[in-house]
Amino acid sequence: MKHYVMTLLAALMLWTLPAVAQNGPLRLELTEGVIEPMPFAVPEFVADDAAGAEMGRRIAQVVAADLTGTGLFREIPQDAFISRVTSFSSPVQFADWKAINAQALVTGAVTLDSTGKLVVRFRLYDVFAGQELGDGLQLVGTQDGWRRIAHKVADQVYSRITGEAPYFDSRVVFVSETGPKDQRAKRLAIMDYDGANVSYLTGSSSIVLAPRFSPSGDRILYTSYESGFPRIYVMNVGSAQRRALEQQEGSMSFAPRFAPDGRTVVYSMTRGGNTDLYSMDINSGAGTRLTTAPSIETAPSFSPDGRRIVFESDRSGNQQLYVMPANGGEAQRISFGQGRYGTPVWSPRGDLIAFTKQSKGRFHIGVMRVDGSEERLLTASFLEEGPTWSPNGRVIMFTRETQGAQGSASLYSVDITGRNLREVPTDTGASDPSWSPLQD
Amino acid sequence: MNTGQIISGAGHLALMGWALFGGAFQSEPLPFQVTEVTAISAEEFAALSNAPNNPEAVANVDTPEPPAEGEGVPELSATEDATPEMSQPEASETPPADTVPEPQEPPAPLPEAEVSDAPPVLTPPEEDVAALVPEVSPRPQPRPAPRVAPEPVAQPDPDVEIDEVDQQETTPDAEAAETVEEDTRETAREEATTEIVTEAEENDLASAAPTRSPRPRTRPETPATEAEPTQDAPAPSEPETDENAVNNALAEALGQGQAQTGGTDQGAPSGPPLTAGEKDALRVAVQNCWNVGSLSSEALRTTVVVSVTMSEDSRPVTSSIEMLSASGGSGSAAKQAYEAARRAIIRCGASGFNLPKDKYDHWRNIEMTFNPERMRIK
Repeated sequence: MKHYVMTLLAALMLWTLPAVAQNGPLRLELTEGVIEPMPFAVPEFVADDAAGAEMGRRIAQVVAADLTGTGLFREIPQDAFISRVTSFSSPVQFADWKAINAQALVTGAVTLDSTGKLVVRFRLYDVFAGQELGDGLQLVGTQDGWRRIAHKVADQVYSRITGEAPYFDSRVVFVSETGPKDQRAKRLAIMDYDGANVSYLTGSSSIVLAPRFSPSGDRILYTSYESGFPRIYVMNVGSAQRRALEQQEGSMSFAPRFAPDGRTVVYSMTRGGNTDLYSMDINSGAGTRLTTAPSIETAPSFSPDGRRIVFESDRSGNQQLYVMPANGGEAQRISFGQGRYGTPVWSPRGDLIAFTKQSKGRFHIGVMRVDGSEERLLTASFLEEGPTWSPNGRVIMFTRETQGAQGSASLYSVDITGRNLREVPTDTGASDPSWSPLQD
Repeated sequence: MNTGQIISGAGHLALMGWALFGGAFQSEPLPFQVTEVTAISAEEFAALSNAPNNPEAVANVDTPEPPAEGEGVPELSATEDATPEMSQPEASETPPADTVPEPQEPPAPLPEAEVSDAPPVLTPPEEDVAALVPEVSPRPQPRPAPRVAPEPVAQPDPDVEIDEVDQQETTPDAEAAETVEEDTRETAREEATTEIVTEAEENDLASAAPTRSPRPRTRPETPATEAEPTQDAPAPSEPETDENAVNNALAEALGQGQAQTGGTDQGAPSGPPLTAGEKDALRVAVQNCWNVGSLSSEALRTTVVVSVTMSEDSRPVTSSIEMLSASGGSGSAAKQAYEAARRAIIRCGASGFNLPKDKYDHWRNIEMTFNPERMRIK
């Protein structure tokens, strides 16, 4: 009986359904797209005079190089262009750009104002939608700072299309290496993220190691053997003035890193044959011991919220990664794979930890979740170490050293997906990179 | 009616009644004995009757005589047996003096074992995995390629133009010169892989071959006794419940309703709905242009539902594209995800989707859900 009643009800309901069902839109679910670089075009930025035109050409080149360097974009060469942009205000001929499959178009103009300042305006277009992506923007700077302006234009384009935070207008401090392996001269150097504008911060008379930017990018911590044994120094980037941090008698300090507040430094100190982690107020010099294990604890790195520290330790018998509260306390092991793990660095986004792994005679740069899950090795070579995160947490830079007596160190970058492995061009050998935050 | 006719009629009725109902009064047959017999041929009978008799017992058996005394006794020789020569080993040279072992550093002390009160967890012994499976999975592994797509595509010839579809080049044919054929350049899809292959994984590809071969398996001891279910066995049918009945009735009524209202209602689409294949073709066409490579991690966690109105030439009306809803990400992430979806619809619809024109009413309005969950890290 129940069966018949329900069937009757269903039939009654259906009496009105056909019209509704037929008038609805066709519904599709798409779950598999493609991952490939997006083709884009950056014509030379237009200018009023020849000097401005040269500047416009250079700026367009840097913008294109920045975008291409991410691996997410593919530049369409200028000789493939059908139409030329001769005026910043004239309408864009979208059909011409569609014809060469340019999905994004960046147009710009360069002028010099009455004070000699460089004024750069740009617009970004979604070619196939036939509309502007975001509003046009104007940037003003010195003529010498044209590269920074170009990086800022590229940052805007990158962020508007991808949704990621920008990172092109940033710098990298590293150890410049010259000479043979057994007599290698090392000194601190700083450059734009893409290898341009290199300048040296120290001489080559003493060995320097592991420079680290402060959260605001105005200071650098590093370890120097200037006094014959390792000691931590802090340097002002603008003035290149430096001072040694407080150090206890008969101890060695190394592997320093700033806390997110910029006032505290966490580092390793070896005393009495044991290496532990310590923190220090950079102004007062007051220190706190964070670990007390008889094993070696080193390479500490803060989480972005400053509440936890990831570090490496051999307390389990071989080198593994641990996480503990920022003021010390019980540490939790997070790496459990085969091999040795070291030099952990917390992502600026807080979601991943980059590390160096040694396994089966090879070195890898990898990433894992902060609980140690989803480990993913991104690179592999004879020797590589020392990862550092881009300000937006999307790219990792690290040192790679080639084999043999003539082997040399150089810097590489890789996207966190494992794609787009690239060598960062430097005039000399380079190691120990540290990526700055985005510049103001 | 005379008496004769009455008697004849009664007799016929009795006969017909016996013919019709006589079976009900049948008695049981008498019991009889059955004996099994075997038919054999004459030759076989002859062979049976000429069978050899049983052998008779032999009363007299020849018993061998015992040998005479002294006969056949071997003589003892007086000479002694020659002593076999023993070869002496050659004296070796003075052995070298034992080298004093160099003191070696004692092995590093083992880390202190942690003693726990908890009993160890015993794991069941593993099967002889090495004998059954190779150490490295032999399944095909993706090769590195700049493009990640649902379908892997081999690297095309460098001279071939990259396009959305594979296409053969037209060649002039002298015999078929009369038929005019549009010139077509050879095209091929861009090289693609199904997953992102990192440098670390790329190196593993070189050693993808098994590192050792499996041992031959032992012969099974006993044949399998468990009878496998035959394919003929009917599948267990789902018991019909009220819900099923309602669903069936709904489906049936819906089908009938569609058939009935198909060509009569002016506001409803005409003709049969799109087939699954036609829907899949449209889905694949849009997916081919849905590039999520330039999306942020957050945008890759965002699902957007986009509506589009199509023109009759099966091209999307660009101004009609709008985002209906988004889930899983912030507003800016949803915006990036929507823009990527919009680009996909416009780009791949620029030359018109392959849709049946007679079913235009069914695809005039389309809602596409772009769910990048499977595209995050491949």
